Amino acid sequence: MKTMKWLLKREMWENKGMLLWTPIVIAGAVITLIFTGLIFGKVEHMQLYGQPISVTIEGTARMKIAEAMAELYVTAGMPILMILGLLVFFYCLNALHDERRDRSLLFWKSLPVSDTTTVLSKLVTAVVVAPLITLAVAVAVGLLVVLAACVFLLLHGTNMFGALLSTPQLYLTPLRLVGVLPVYILWALPTVGWLLMVSSMARSKVFLWAVGTPIISTLLLVWAQKMLHFSLDSLWFASHISARILLGVVPGSWIGFERPVLDLTSNERSLAVSKLIFDASWSTLGSPSVWIGAAAGVAMIAIAIYMRRRREEV
Amino acid sequence: MSALITAGNLRKQYGKQAALDGVSFTVESGRIVGLIGPNGSGKTTTLKAILGLTQFQGELSVLGMDPRQQREALMNEVCFIADVAILPRWLKVKDAIDFVEGVHPRFNRAKAEKYIANTKLTPNMKVKAMSKGMVVQLHLALVMAIDAKLLVLDEPTLGLDILYRKQFYQNLLEDYFDENKTILITTHQIEEVEHILTDLLFIENGKISLAATMDEVSERFTEVMVEPQFVAAANALQPLSQRTVFGKPVMLFDGANREQLSNFGELRTPSVADLFVATMKGSYA
Repeated sequence: MKTMKWLLKREMWENKGMLLWTPIVIAGAVITLIFTGLIFGKVEHMQLYGQPISVTIEGTARMKIAEAMAELYVTAGMPILMILGLLVFFYCLNALHDERRDRSLLFWKSLPVSDTTTVLSKLVTAVVVAPLITLAVAVAVGLLVVLAACVFLLLHGTNMFGALLSTPQLYLTPLRLVGVLPVYILWALPTVGWLLMVSSMARSKVFLWAVGTPIISTLLLVWAQKMLHFSLDSLWFASHISARILLGVVPGSWIGFERPVLDLTSNERSLAVSKLIFDASWSTLGSPSVWIGAAAGVAMIAIAIYMRRRREEV
Repeated sequence: MSALITAGNLRKQYGKQAALDGVSFTVESGRIVGLIGPNGSGKTTTLKAILGLTQFQGELSVLGMDPRQQREALMNEVCFIADVAILPRWLKVKDAIDFVEGVHPRFNRAKAEKYIANTKLTPNMKVKAMSKGMVVQLHLALVMAIDAKLLVLDEPTLGLDILYRKQFYQNLLEDYFDENKTILITTHQIEEVEHILTDLLFIENGKISLAATMDEVSERFTEVMVEPQFVAAANALQPLSQRTVFGKPVMLFDGANREQLSNFGELRTPSVADLFVATMKGSYA
């Protein structure tokens, strides 16, 4: 356990720029854009009969708006969540290759740490640490933006702070997003396993091996199907193999793979988007395809561990 | 004394090229063993086999363990410094100490810090900002703080200036080595290690060509500065090699009778470097 803690720290030292600073820089850009919009936008100058507009929102509408804000504020952090897929992808691609390329493998292997623990620490960094950091940054951006919106409304005569802060959704939304993490891990496993395996095996050109292999295989199958009239389903291969081992790390990929029913009717017309996503995400675990993919991911991680033991520096 | 390392008939192929071609030797504990050989003779491969860093055929027991199967357990007792710096460029001095302390049960933090205090290294310094000599200092600080039974050094002073090299071996002897420790070292700078070695292993073309203690070496090999009138007689005893110093032939003999040799001229104990050159002269031909 203690070793694992230090291995995770080690991964953070090495990849701080990628795993921590990239989300923060993008967060900075998002915040700058939104604030520029708020401050320099034309809203200040909207006038009615020569008077600045003052808005007063009361009653049910006020509650509805507070609820909507409490639900949707996380969307301000969406650009940050979007890059999570890229971060995890490139992290895994380099995880077991860089140490062989710069020969630091010899140093790490001169310490009493097993190959299994090392590879697992990289897996945990990819599917737990990286998503949690990104999620925290995204939620922080959302909070900043919703508070700024409240200040903005206050300047126009409506105080939403009380209503917003007393809405349970404000606190439930980030929790539900964290609650989707297990679903993310299961869907990401085939991709993470594939990338770690390629990273542990390839002597050079890791990216080409990782991306080229599934794409060329797919093209070959399409060609065999069209030209040689083999009874192959290249479309099935593309969507069930190639896409799963390349795109599984994109948050929400399961919505695309599994197309769960987004049940809009049962929500009593409230705007519980996060609950909708939460339920839909967990419902994808009912299908066997996620479990088959996860098992394949675990198998590829086992191969990566075996290769870490055998492969020498390049 | 029991054998710390027992290697029997180690074999390893890189493609068609045999890197190890039946290497057998033993290393007793409490010794400083020099594994000496020309480039490409299998030195590094032998060390990597001992450390569990490469696959091979043959029997190998290090501290009673098989490095192929038990690398993690073995690394509790074995330390390693490699030819070129193998510390990752992003590592900071303080992180390196924290990490090794975190994962190594036999690491003594105070020792490492004490050693680092005598260098120009600072806690926030990254490896990429260090000179080659400083990287080796950091690595040595980490390794000396580990109470290990075996220290493996693969060209540890390659590319260092003479000050760092001298200091390295001085630290190793004064602050690290004791009767419970064993050091296995490869280097091309034979002159610098010759006085600290207790045992010699010559390796040539993937085979051990000489295995002896330094005492045995000085008993077995004799150098004679032959007076001109005895050259023919000395040549008849088949010297290993012959060179000329100040116009006089110097001949190196293996296992010849010293009394007989002393008639030919002044006797000397050959340096390891001379011995190396004499025994390896055919290896590039």
